[in-house]
Amino acid sequence: MNVKEKLKRVLIEDLNLEDLDPEEITDDMALFDEGLGLDSLDAVELVVIVQKHFGVEIKDMVESRPAFQSINTLAKFIEERMS
Amino acid sequence: MRIGIQGVGLTGGFGSGVDSLQAALQSGKVVTQQREALHNGEVDIYPAYLASLDRLEEFIPKRALRRIDHCSRMTLLAAHLALQDAGMPESERSRIGVIIASGYGPLQTTCDFLDSYLDFGYACSSPTHFSNSVHNAAAAHLSMQLKTTAPSLTVTQFEMSVPSALLTAQQWLIEGRVDRLLFGAVDEQCEVLRYCRRQFFAAGEQGPLQPLAFSTQSAVVGEGAVFLLLTRDEVAAYGHIDEVRLGNHSVAPLSLSDDDLLILGADGHKECGRWYTQAARGHEVAAYAPFYGSFPAAAGFDLAVAALSLRDNRLYPGLASTGASTLTAATPGELNGRKLACLKFGSAGEYGLTRMSR
Repeated sequence: MNVKEKLKRVLIEDLNLEDLDPEEITDDMALFDEGLGLDSLDAVELVVIVQKHFGVEIKDMVESRPAFQSINTLAKFIEERMS
Repeated sequence: MRIGIQGVGLTGGFGSGVDSLQAALQSGKVVTQQREALHNGEVDIYPAYLASLDRLEEFIPKRALRRIDHCSRMTLLAAHLALQDAGMPESERSRIGVIIASGYGPLQTTCDFLDSYLDFGYACSSPTHFSNSVHNAAAAHLSMQLKTTAPSLTVTQFEMSVPSALLTAQQWLIEGRVDRLLFGAVDEQCEVLRYCRRQFFAAGEQGPLQPLAFSTQSAVVGEGAVFLLLTRDEVAAYGHIDEVRLGNHSVAPLSLSDDDLLILGADGHKECGRWYTQAARGHEVAAYAPFYGSFPAAAGFDLAVAALSLRDNRLYPGLASTGASTLTAATPGELNGRKLACLKFGSAGEYGLTRMSR
């Protein structure tokens, strides 16, 4: 399972997005607002999810903000730090 | 002051809603589910009465539930069923007070939060788990869903949680702090609770539950939520709560009226059994724990059974497996205006007595 697929699965499981299947989350879908509909509390949960499931620590939310745009940007952020 | 019961909502091992409880009481059938847990490398299989949440989406969209844990979901379902049962329109819900009794609170979420803290450290502790792990979370979720601005409270006093919370509910209505009040009780089953109960009670948790076999440990774990919509109205759909009393039988022995027909909160815990045999001797008794299981909030289900019995003018039969008893089992059938009293004992002789009438 690649990073994007795992990311979609853990988002659904850890954020309890029970009304969604991984296939319904497209790679370029916005994570917040109109896209997946996540909010500020989810942003905190995302930091936890990324560290817990991928071992990548996010220390500076402002600096990391561009990574939280979509599955594509977050997966790229994780892959860069994992390598 | 008499407190009127206008609506009842509940979910438990028998299903969801008053009709499901009534159907179970009439048929005498509730099936426990088999749960599995890992215990020292072995699979531990045990019976449990588990609540159904199937009807929750009738009231709240799935997406709105995503930050709400199992304990609060049971709470929301039971509360909405009580409001629906009372025919309470949404426009009149903004001044409803909320009081919830819980012996354990959101135990699974508390354990999940502690697990995440222990496994991954402070930085990876889920804020959602934390916010749901506090005991008042269920009451808060309910108040927010109802958009009520009236006070809300959660009372935790283990086996005495329900009568203790009900005493406060009665006081709020007497003082006029609220005009209507959703009084509820909730507890959830989880693996840690099973581990503890196995350590304490071993094979005594395998059932069948025999509430009137007081010298036998026969408790079976359960979970669920129950709500009563209470008002000061003289006309009540189900009946009235006349008196709520708390005390300790070992300090000041409980004195019962000769005509008290008792619904015992006996739930297969041997250490509480002796108090029932002492205090209820000579009285007609019934016990309904085999319909919903053994957990502190089950005392709230006893109130619901009493309310249903008063409404239907009928004492429902308990299950056949209630077991041999030193007390006199009440004969099911018409109540003919008789009053009911729900009696719950804790292990140290502490008791809660709730007298109810039509």
